[in-house]
Amino acid sequence: MAVMQVLSKLGDTKYEWDVAGVQEGDGAAVAAVQEAERIFAQQRARGATAFKVWPGRPAERMDRFDPQAEHVVVVPRIAGG
Amino acid sequence: MDAFAFLVGTLLITGLALGVAIHLANGGGPWSRSRSATWREAQERAETLLREMLTVEEYDQLSERGYLDVPSPSQPARTYRVPLKGGRVAIVEGGAEVESLCVGPVESVPPGDVILIHKLMIEGDEQEYLRRANRYRLRVPASLLGVGG
Repeated sequence: MAVMQVLSKLGDTKYEWDVAGVQEGDGAAVAAVQEAERIFAQQRARGATAFKVWPGRPAERMDRFDPQAEHVVVVPRIAGG
Repeated sequence: MDAFAFLVGTLLITGLALGVAIHLANGGGPWSRSRSATWREAQERAETLLREMLTVEEYDQLSERGYLDVPSPSQPARTYRVPLKGGRVAIVEGGAEVESLCVGPVESVPPGDVILIHKLMIEGDEQEYLRRANRYRLRVPASLLGVGG
């Protein structure tokens, strides 16, 4: 399962999809990944930044949604204080 | 009759005020309790995610020293020191703090998520992180730079 975690005042909200199911055209998996992609676009429009993350490796910024990404973290916009 | 109406009105207002006072003394009712429970759960989730995202060494450093060092992806001698309890992020070069940054999420998020946001932004989008931060360059005494007396 791939997961996208969106950080907010609620902590993180998880959106999961089955990468193999998406590749096989499974309806539920496709619907789940479409929902994740919609949230990704919505968050980006609000100024959020998304990263692909892996254990023990530096994060990598994602400008476009990647349904193959195993783990994505979306963080809210930052600003100078 | 006017005196009776005044008495009833006074009793009603007093009762209402007393009810509000008791309600507030009990924590403000279900809405307030629900909000604090939600925030507590958010903090717990953030702490769990932070543990998952950091290596054991990074998490230990954060717990024991109160900050997380994030190496600069672009400058090998530079480290960003992110404090556990909030405040400015220090830029450390050659073991000395040379600059501090005031930057953070515009949305209120749990403390664990704040640490994670700094780490991800530095690792994955360092230039944007620096561009958004308010930067405060520290004055280094000339003697420490090996210049002058």
